[in-house]
Amino acid sequence: MLDLRLPSGLFFALLGVILLGMGIFVPDYHRAVLTEANVNLYCGAGMTAFGAFLLVMAWRAGRSHS
Amino acid sequence: MKLAPVDYFILFLYFAFVLGIGWRLRKKISTSGDFLLSGHGVPVWITSLAFIAANLGAQELIGMSASGAKYGIMTAHFYWIGAIPAILFMGLFMMPFYHSSKARSVPEYLKMRFDEKTRTFNACTFAVMTVFSSGISMYALGLLLQLVLGWDFSTSVLCSAAIVLAYTFLGGLTSAIYNEVLQFLLIVAGFAPLALMSVVKSGGWAGIQSRVAPVMTHAWKYMGSASENPMGVGLFSMVAGLGFVLSFGYWCTNFLVVQRAMAADSMSAARRTPLIGALPKMFLPFVVILPGIAALALSKMNLGYDLPMKDGGYDYNQVLTTLMAKFYPAGMLGVGLTGLMASFMSGMAGNVTAFNTVWTYDIYQTHIKPGAPDVHYLKVGRITTIAGVVLSIGAAYYARQYSNIMDLLQLVFGVVNAPLFATFVLGMFWKRTTANGAFVGLITGTGAAVATLCLTVAEGKGGWFGHAYSFSSAMAQNFWIAIIAWTTCFVVTIAISMMGQPRPDREMEGLVYGLTKVPHDATAKWYQRPAPLAVLVIVLVVILNIWFA
Repeated sequence: MLDLRLPSGLFFALLGVILLGMGIFVPDYHRAVLTEANVNLYCGAGMTAFGAFLLVMAWRAGRSHS
Repeated sequence: MKLAPVDYFILFLYFAFVLGIGWRLRKKISTSGDFLLSGHGVPVWITSLAFIAANLGAQELIGMSASGAKYGIMTAHFYWIGAIPAILFMGLFMMPFYHSSKARSVPEYLKMRFDEKTRTFNACTFAVMTVFSSGISMYALGLLLQLVLGWDFSTSVLCSAAIVLAYTFLGGLTSAIYNEVLQFLLIVAGFAPLALMSVVKSGGWAGIQSRVAPVMTHAWKYMGSASENPMGVGLFSMVAGLGFVLSFGYWCTNFLVVQRAMAADSMSAARRTPLIGALPKMFLPFVVILPGIAALALSKMNLGYDLPMKDGGYDYNQVLTTLMAKFYPAGMLGVGLTGLMASFMSGMAGNVTAFNTVWTYDIYQTHIKPGAPDVHYLKVGRITTIAGVVLSIGAAYYARQYSNIMDLLQLVFGVVNAPLFATFVLGMFWKRTTANGAFVGLITGTGAAVATLCLTVAEGKGGWFGHAYSFSSAMAQNFWIAIIAWTTCFVVTIAISMMGQPRPDREMEGLVYGLTKVPHDATAKWYQRPAPLAVLVIVLVVILNIWFA
């Protein structure tokens, strides 16, 4: 059976890397008016970390299974 | 609101993942049970999140932030006095009977406990209700996307429905459940940052309290009388109507959510599904309601944010999207929008997968073609999935045509579950309840609900057959209809049951309290047992209620 942590982890890691990239390289692209914060950078970092966490969990479960 | 290419890319990435999950799970399907019931083999953390996500549709997301701006933190009653106690009751006291009966659906339990007519009545009302619920939700989403992004109504409705159809058709209930978890995570990831930023910008909770009326930041303080609070609801109707009848009716008897718990891999896991789901559920108000209250505070700060208007009044339904446009840059805006799409899809897939199970097992296999080989029912299940989506699309266009009728239908659907909960409480906990008692009680309870709706008026609506009473708000009317429907069903069921012959005990083993063995897993760790989990949930929810009292 498919380990759901694998696709979810991959999805959030990809999403996180896209946002991180935007936050680092084009922080002023389509800025939001009500906040000074680099929203993409912080959210991207959070999502990358969450995605990586799910992937590590899936990898550990897969290893102990085999 | 204008989207950048990266926002579209994120949306398509999400579509690719949900379809990919459906594609990977297609090989698992070889029987109708695999397709419609997940083969009872889904891990408990997945069923728990799906249990919450199937209920977290687009309407809930849009509606809860709208209510946050309109009614304030009182909206959290839908969670802290509504959903959580009902979810606890379902996991602790009702799941043992659903599970040990081996029923494949809620209507099928009614057949085992009572008889065919009660089951058929419930199966039919439920099937109609799911189609209209997913249609109304589809309409709400199409309308919002049209309004906010200028997308064509038909294109957005048909595309999102096609994606839901593709992954539920491929992988059945398992695919719907797996995707619901991804969708739940995405909804939180997409909206939690918005909640955080909007609250911080308005000066934290203290800043919000100083800018909006006190009635908006207290959940209990102004509940003394209906005229004191913006909801127009008194303490009794809130606790008895929403807290008891409507919430217990929804969470304990609606197959849409019960089906997720039934998919778990054991009795213990099935009981823990609602309890574990209750933990994230009680914190959802901070993600879905808080932005609405913060929006109200922000609109008073001269920052360039105003509450959205339509036809001279506030259009609260656009609060969430207007906030997104002000706080999210390109990139995160795509994530937020994808979260909105995800909530719509999880709600719709929930409805479609519940609809196809009830239609295939409770209507088709029972009344149209019994005794066929299983492969035939698998085929019927798949065809019903397509039919369910097509009917939902039809309902969405119907809603677009007659939006007033939809208000009424929603009110009626709100009370369908109310009398049903009385039937279940008596059926599960009083073995004297007879089949005829249950059926007559259910019919008269539903009739009492319709009669109350037709004889009372609220906010200028209702009162088609007469004007016996006026309610202070439509919500108060809704709560009172539920209380009257439940009480009628409860009393009539007892009265008719007392007149008839009870069923022999041996026929009701595994179906009724006192005749069902509930395993006590005393050797398991505390977090793997239902009772300690329930205590944890109760303590946390009491703290939340006191904190925001």
